[in-house]
Amino acid sequence: MRPATFEYHRATSLEHALQLLGEFGEEARPIAGGQSLVPMMNFRLARPGHLVDINRLPLNAIEIVGSMLRIGALTRHGAYFDHPLIARHFPAFLDAVHYIGHPTIRRNGSIGGSISHADPTAELPAVAVLHDADIVVRSAAEERRIKASEFFVSAYVTALEPGEMVVAVEFPIPPAASAGSFVEMSERSGDFATASVGIVLEHEGGRIAKAAMVCSGAGLVPIRAPDVESHLLNRALNDPHAEEAGRIFAASIDPVDDHIASAAYRRSLIAELTRRAIETACSRALGRS
Amino acid sequence: MIEITLEVNGVTKTLSVEPRRLLADVLRQEFNLCGVHIGCAHGACGCCTVHQDGTPRLSCLTFAVQCDGASIRTVESLGGPTAEHSLQQAFRSEHGLQCGYCTPGFLMTLVPFVDEMVEIGRRPDDEEIREAMSGNICRCTGYHGIVAAVRKAIDDGLGEGSVA
Repeated sequence: MRPATFEYHRATSLEHALQLLGEFGEEARPIAGGQSLVPMMNFRLARPGHLVDINRLPLNAIEIVGSMLRIGALTRHGAYFDHPLIARHFPAFLDAVHYIGHPTIRRNGSIGGSISHADPTAELPAVAVLHDADIVVRSAAEERRIKASEFFVSAYVTALEPGEMVVAVEFPIPPAASAGSFVEMSERSGDFATASVGIVLEHEGGRIAKAAMVCSGAGLVPIRAPDVESHLLNRALNDPHAEEAGRIFAASIDPVDDHIASAAYRRSLIAELTRRAIETACSRALGRS
Repeated sequence: MIEITLEVNGVTKTLSVEPRRLLADVLRQEFNLCGVHIGCAHGACGCCTVHQDGTPRLSCLTFAVQCDGASIRTVESLGGPTAEHSLQQAFRSEHGLQCGYCTPGFLMTLVPFVDEMVEIGRRPDDEEIREAMSGNICRCTGYHGIVAAVRKAIDDGLGEGSVA
């Protein structure tokens, strides 16, 4: 299929883009890599009347701002592989990037696009929820910071208002004594995830001092696992009771039941992914790869 | 209609296009480059891969209006009508194609990979080759012949003696 008709606008500055998005409101969508939006348009699941091309805007910096790592909305997924700040501070993030699509998609897709599209199986929304990231959005009138946990409302639905676009995502930099991992299962390499689990651990004296866990596939948005997070507190890194954590989490969720996998299959898959993510993170915290 | 200028395989044309027209369709219909194959039209099969300013890009997920001023390369730019590029020759000798529908996409995805490996003097393992081609789907030959072709093209490029 081919897209419905639309008007095309090439934004020459952020102000210009915001002015266009404000002018056309719900009819307008920004386009960056187009790796999610254009498939939706080709199938006519999305029919924006106006596309605002933001590719030429300077929104692709990865930089430390205060205690946060700020990633510009146009940063392409492929940029993380060789980035020292990602490798040093965000192992779960780096793991997750390997699961995003394929090399060609990773070279073109952007973080702003992935976050705004809010596919329930996408990796970067899960990473944002895992790290309590702030989604920085702008309209012609104002800038807002929205917690990732409040940004994702439902599958493909976000807290973005008409006229707004994501300009950056800011991740709190974890303390030095921390480790993480992200594991995902899909039927084919690079395909949409059946489920995924991410973990970040802070540790002290060989024990877990703080834990965060996120799961995609358990609901229509990435969800945190507070029961697992408290279960892991004070556990020894070399004996984190990971299998038990998986069982606890699996018992608390009501996973998606669809043509990819039944809810029962997803529940047992998520239990196993939880175990693997915890064991990998603990192993990394102990200095084993 | 929006006026754009594209340089495709060394030929520059200025043309007026509807914003909704995909780069893949414009390359096929306005430049007569029927080596640009369209498989799924949603970024899952890799058939329509071309290079935009030197980087592989899915032309079914790209609007031609976005490419104003860009330099585009299609499979026709590689080895001419007799397919003389080293990777094309390797596809031939290693049975990397059967019906050939997916082949232009595989070639345009893998040529930069092969070039990079030759340039840095490294022989990737098969797993790495499979990752590099994971965005392309072949439905008849299977992938063993394609992996073998990539390996051969890299070996040929590196020549004897240079090992990493």
